[in-house]
Amino acid sequence: MFLRSILRGGRGTMMMAAGKVKETTGIVGLEVVPNAREVLIDLYTKTLKEIEAVPADEGYRKAVESFTKHRLQICQEESDWEEIEKKIGCGQVEELIEEAQDELKLIDKLVEWDPWGVPDDYECEVIEDDTPIPQHVPRHKPVKLPEEFYNTMEAVSSKPVIEEKKIEEPTPQLKS
Amino acid sequence: MDNQFIFQYSWDILPKKWVHKMKRSEHGNRFYTNTDNLFPLLCFLKWHTYTRVQVLIDICGVDYPSRKRRFEVVYNLLSTRYNARIRVQTSADEVTRISSVVSLFPSAGWWEREVWDMFGLSFINHPDLRRILTDYGFEGHPLRKDFPLSGYVEVRYDDPEKRVVSEPIEMTQEFRYFDFASPWEQRSDG
Repeated sequence: MFLRSILRGGRGTMMMAAGKVKETTGIVGLEVVPNAREVLIDLYTKTLKEIEAVPADEGYRKAVESFTKHRLQICQEESDWEEIEKKIGCGQVEELIEEAQDELKLIDKLVEWDPWGVPDDYECEVIEDDTPIPQHVPRHKPVKLPEEFYNTMEAVSSKPVIEEKKIEEPTPQLKS
Repeated sequence: MDNQFIFQYSWDILPKKWVHKMKRSEHGNRFYTNTDNLFPLLCFLKWHTYTRVQVLIDICGVDYPSRKRRFEVVYNLLSTRYNARIRVQTSADEVTRISSVVSLFPSAGWWEREVWDMFGLSFINHPDLRRILTDYGFEGHPLRKDFPLSGYVEVRYDDPEKRVVSEPIEMTQEFRYFDFASPWEQRSDG
């Protein structure tokens, strides 16, 4: 399959259609998804629906809503997979699809396990150790995190946005 | 630096019930958890979009004989997407069974076999839990602190029986423990 594209002289990438067709993801075992945008929009809307099972003041729910809404907005605005990849800045669309599917799986499992809420006698030992690493030890250059990550971190520490829904149904959540 | 962001983020996001101690350090960030919450915690770290730790680097056991829950199992994880390493530690005693993470990280198969062989900690739902480093028919768990350095049996080839036999150990020199106050030879004069 690669030979054919080389023999064609890279003509596959020079198609003047509205969006360039992706030849390959470059990752072994990850197939190209031609309708990636629709799949992503579908997955993100499903995620936003599923996350409502989590209590509203949990950092997890705030974070997931924040980045899912951001990514959904980008997918809806842009119609070209390349633009989506560039704007979200988190790898290829196929990887984003994988991430969204895993997130759905995770929400499913979390709803099953139900670990939310902090017991009254909860105490957590936090050890902060600031001894610096010696200069001669090689360290990785830090990877640039996508901008959306910092927005998500802020969203986690902020108050929950959907306050009205919380007032509507407070007790059933606690009882379950 | 970004390692710390991911760690801080995962600390904020995690259900607090799962983690009862955490250490943030340049030398390696760690979460301490219970054996019940270990599998959910690793599921979370593997699947969540902003923590994607999909590589399990190592599972090791440590023996602290003075503690009540004497063994500690350490899971070293790596996120290739965000270049972050996280360590998750649980404590267990000799009879606790830990749930295996083979369904999440297939590489855990051999690591858990090693922990079983060296320490005697068994794992639930492990597909193939048997010895991996010790000899066939070996008794005991070598890396426990109460197992002596030279072991209990020695093997030799027995010519009349034409096979290898195990016999209780016979050392010509008894075990010497070098624990002097000073590294230099002690002299009476001087």
